[in-house]
Amino acid sequence: MISSLLTLLTPKAFAVPSYSRQTGLPCASCHYAPPELTPFGRTFKLEGYTFTTKAEVTDDKKDHNAPLHLLEAFPLSILFDTSLTVTKSPQPATENGNFEFPQDVSLFLAGAWTSHVGSFTQVTYDSQGDHFSWDNTDIRYANKAGQLFGKPFTFGITLNNNPGVEDLWNSTPAWGYPFVGSNAAPSPSAGALINGALAQDVAGVGGYTMLNDHWYLAGTMYRSEHIGGAQPNAGTGFGLNIRGVAPYWRAAWQTSTKNNYLEFGSYGMHVKSTPNSVVGLMDSYTDFAGDFQYDRTIPQFKNDVLSIRGTYVRENSTLPATFAAGGAAQASHHLNTAQANVEYHFGTRLSGTAGLFDITGTRDPLLFAPAAVSGSANGSPQSNGYILNVSWWPEQNVDLAVQYTGYFRFNGAQTNYDGAGRDASANNAVYVLARFVF
Amino acid sequence: MREFFLRLIPVGILCCLALPSAAQAQSDAAKIYKANCVLCHSADGSGDSATGKAMHAKDLRSEEVQKQSDAELADVITKGRGKMPAFGAKLKPDDVAKLVAYIRSLANKK
Repeated sequence: MISSLLTLLTPKAFAVPSYSRQTGLPCASCHYAPPELTPFGRTFKLEGYTFTTKAEVTDDKKDHNAPLHLLEAFPLSILFDTSLTVTKSPQPATENGNFEFPQDVSLFLAGAWTSHVGSFTQVTYDSQGDHFSWDNTDIRYANKAGQLFGKPFTFGITLNNNPGVEDLWNSTPAWGYPFVGSNAAPSPSAGALINGALAQDVAGVGGYTMLNDHWYLAGTMYRSEHIGGAQPNAGTGFGLNIRGVAPYWRAAWQTSTKNNYLEFGSYGMHVKSTPNSVVGLMDSYTDFAGDFQYDRTIPQFKNDVLSIRGTYVRENSTLPATFAAGGAAQASHHLNTAQANVEYHFGTRLSGTAGLFDITGTRDPLLFAPAAVSGSANGSPQSNGYILNVSWWPEQNVDLAVQYTGYFRFNGAQTNYDGAGRDASANNAVYVLARFVF
Repeated sequence: MREFFLRLIPVGILCCLALPSAAQAQSDAAKIYKANCVLCHSADGSGDSATGKAMHAKDLRSEEVQKQSDAELADVITKGRGKMPAFGAKLKPDDVAKLVAYIRSLANKK
C-alpha cells in the first residue's frame, strides 16, 4: 500500500533477441507482441529458456563423466528506449515535454546456461538516476520430467528478484499492461505491494510445476535484498524490510483449442515488514489476487489475435509500526486494485489496446498525506482512469508506440486532489516511445 | 539335448550384446525427441498441447507425416518447414536418422 503504482506506469522488459538467436525462431513465435507470450513462449519460459536449435559445444554423459551443452553464441541482447512525455499541465516549477534520450538502456543475459538451466537477466541504465542497476532477473532450472499420474509433467526451480517475474501470463503485474510507460508523468500514490513495490528489492527461491499442460502451481519465498545497501542488512533507509520470509503463491489453470486460449488463476503474497529497521514492530500485508487471460486467434482475419486480460488484487494490511511512527492514522487498512484491458493484434505489425484501472481503499490522512502533485488532500487512495496504447512494429524488434493515460480521479479526487489546486486530469499524459532491441 | 543348449549359449550372448545396443538407440532417440520435439509435438507426437495447437504442429503419427520418406522427414528436421525451425545446426545426421526412426515408432503406439 505504501508503494506507488510504478509498475502500472513504468516500462517493462521486452522480447529478447538472444532467445530468437538461440531458437532460430522469430520473435512472433513467442510473442503476440512483446512482451505478451504466446503458448509457445510460455512453454519456452516454463522449460527454463533452454530450447535451442542452434549449434552447441557438447559432450555426452558417459560412465561417471558429466555432460556439456553450451551455446556457441553468447546470449546477450540490448534494448534502447527513447521517449517523449507530455502531461496536460506541467508539474509546478518544471518544464513540460520530457524528451528522454535514452529513457532506458538494458543489457540482457538471456538464454540457456546448460541443458536444464537458463536465464532472463537484465541490467538497466536509467537516465534519471544516470546509472546502471540490476533489473528483473529470473534464473531457473527446469525439468521436463515426463509423466506424473500418466500426464505430462514439468517442474522447475526459480531464483528471482521480483514476485511474479517468473509468471507465464500477461495478466499479472510483473508482465501486465501497460507494457511500456512513462517514468516522467505523475502516477497514483497507492498500489498493492504485489504490484511492484518489491521489484528488484528482494531475492527469492521457489519452485513450480505444470501438470497435464493445464495446471500450474508455483511458490517462492522472498527475503529483502536491498541492492546498493550495506550487507548484512540493517534496514536503515528502506521502507520495506521483510521479516523472516515472505511467501508468494500462484495457481493457474489453462486450456486451449486450435484458435482459443483461456487462463484463470490466483496469486498472492504475505509480507511482514519493519520500516527502516529489522527489529521492533512489524507491519503486515496480505495480497490476494485473481486473474484471467483470453486469446482468440481469428483465421478469417489472417490469424489476427484478440486478447482480453484482467486482474483484481485485494490487500489487507495492519500497520502498527507505521502507525507508531506517525505514518498512519490507524493501523488497519485495505486496498482494492483492478485492471482490465482489451487488445487487438493486426498480425505482428500493429496492436491497439484499451485498458481501465481502478484503485480504492481505506482513507488515511497520514498514509496518503497532502503534497503537491504526489499527495492527497482528503487522504483517499482512490484513483481510476484508462490507458490507450497503439504500437506499430515496422520490424519485430522495433516498437514505435503512442500511449495516452487519462485519469477520472487521482489520489482521491477529480479536482484539487493534492490540496495545491491540481486536478486529476492535469496528470493526463501523452507518451511517445521508440524502442529498439537487438 | 545338452548340445542343443550349448549351442544356444553363444546365441544368447549375442542377443544380450545386441539388445542393449538396440535399447540404447531407442533411448538415445527418445532423449533427442524429448529435448527437441516435445515442446511442440507432445510426448506422444500428437501435438495436442497448447503450444502444439498454437504452432499448428503436425501430428507426427498421422498419415500425412508417416507417408513421407525417411529422407523427406530428415530434410524437414534438418532444414525446417513453415513454423518449424531447422535443427541442422544442432543435430548430427545420425541423430536425425534416430529421430526419424523414433517418429516412425510413434505411429505404432497410436
